[in-house]
Amino acid sequence: MNHHSFRLALFSLCCWFATPVPTLRAAPGDAAAPSSSATPSPSPAPAAASPNPASAIPTESRRLALETAGAFTNDGFRIRDGEWSFSLEKGAPRFLQVTLFAGNRYWFVAASPAANVRLRVTVYDAEGKVVKGEQWQDPEGRGRSAAGVAPEQSGQYFVGVEVMEAPVGAAPDTCLVVAYK
Amino acid sequence: MLTGRHFAILTLCAGFGLCCQTVGAEKAAKATPSAVPAIPPITAEQRQGALFLDALSVPSPGEVFAALNKACRPNWATLVTPATAPVTTDRTQLALAVGVLAANGYIAVEAQDGQQVKNVGREMMAMAKALGVSQSLLGRGHSLVEFADNNAWDALADELEATENEVKATMVEQKDKDLVALTSSAAWLRGLEVASGVVLANENLQGAAVLHQPRLARHLASRLEGLPARMIRGELVPAVTRTLSSTAAILDQASQNLGGQGKPYGKPPQITRENLQKIHDDASVIVKMILTSASAPTPSPTPQAGTGTATAGGTNPASAGQPLPAATPAASPTTSPSKP
Repeated sequence: MNHHSFRLALFSLCCWFATPVPTLRAAPGDAAAPSSSATPSPSPAPAAASPNPASAIPTESRRLALETAGAFTNDGFRIRDGEWSFSLEKGAPRFLQVTLFAGNRYWFVAASPAANVRLRVTVYDAEGKVVKGEQWQDPEGRGRSAAGVAPEQSGQYFVGVEVMEAPVGAAPDTCLVVAYK
Repeated sequence: MLTGRHFAILTLCAGFGLCCQTVGAEKAAKATPSAVPAIPPITAEQRQGALFLDALSVPSPGEVFAALNKACRPNWATLVTPATAPVTTDRTQLALAVGVLAANGYIAVEAQDGQQVKNVGREMMAMAKALGVSQSLLGRGHSLVEFADNNAWDALADELEATENEVKATMVEQKDKDLVALTSSAAWLRGLEVASGVVLANENLQGAAVLHQPRLARHLASRLEGLPARMIRGELVPAVTRTLSSTAAILDQASQNLGGQGKPYGKPPQITRENLQKIHDDASVIVKMILTSASAPTPSPTPQAGTGTATAGGTNPASAGQPLPAATPAASPTTSPSKP
């Protein structure tokens, strides 16, 4: 190999190392279905960088929640045509009654367009105990979170949504949507 | 001067780098979903204060049927029934009929019977028109037809749920929010009728776990009990309420036999075939009553079976002395007969 070839090989190697590693972010659906191929994470939400988070309206949180839940549809999940929109304050979690079926799998997705907000979604059984499942947090730190469960028994459950981090005094608009399969 | 040995070293370095990057990326992908950290249980007060939303707290028939499909793979084609809506001016009956029709639409979707979905959609539009809530629903009707023509079954299921929710939303807008509880209850009862029939057809009652929703039945019953007096003066709404209550009682009994929630999935609830048959029969009678035109004789419920705790469906509505209000032909909804 001559000097020219060496420079070419070295240049190629440098270019390769300079290429950023593709971020293989796990889509929420992947957590529940590790065997399935990785689906792309929901596209960046413009509202997350909204210059005026205080002006965000519930419909924007709904759009974000549906956008996030859209990642599950690649895995065969169906999004229910209903949403729960509300304002959340830190230290004051909100709860919703749901009826879940043994054999089905569910993802509960909460989203908020407010900046610097971190949410947590938790599923509880009829006695108030946490149901084991999967949790998903927006890897980019935006206000999106999801909980996935595959209940062992049909019946009543509760979905809790709480603010883990938020600016002092903030009550971010939040929306929860449900996907099942 | 570069030799072949240099090139080999370079290739090895490149390979090693590639391995490191791939492993790192895989770790990043696997690290995102995390196990649930220690979270304290919620209190009884928090459970009691939990919100109940019709759109999310009441399962859609599609959810029930999805669970049934996994448990016992029903033959949906045999479960499709003609989409016949009642001819009546009774708003409570119209609201109930919307719920039953929505559930029928899901059955037609599961059976992949496009014509039947269109029939159901047409009848739902007629019911919505009779209720005065059809303004925003015209587009839904067109979508149902289009999706049925294109065999877009998933989209059809979504559209059916959206149509039902839009009817409910319009009811709320028009200060008729009490009707929403009736639509939700009727859809759930029709789903229960179908699901219990499917389970009963199975020798081992496979899929019985899907029916286990006593709290929801009780919640729906309590909502109907709280309806204004003007809405429960007929015989239909009280009969629906009784059926929900008796179903809750039977399912509660099965729950006690099971030992409450928390048993492993796959262990069937201890519901007897007789009790399941009673749930099915009561639901069938109520669904028939809902879909019976005001001028037609109402079907007689089955005699009570078994439990001793159940009371609903045991009274013959015809003997209750409160016939359904007669329909005024001029004011009746134009419910065209279903086309097969």
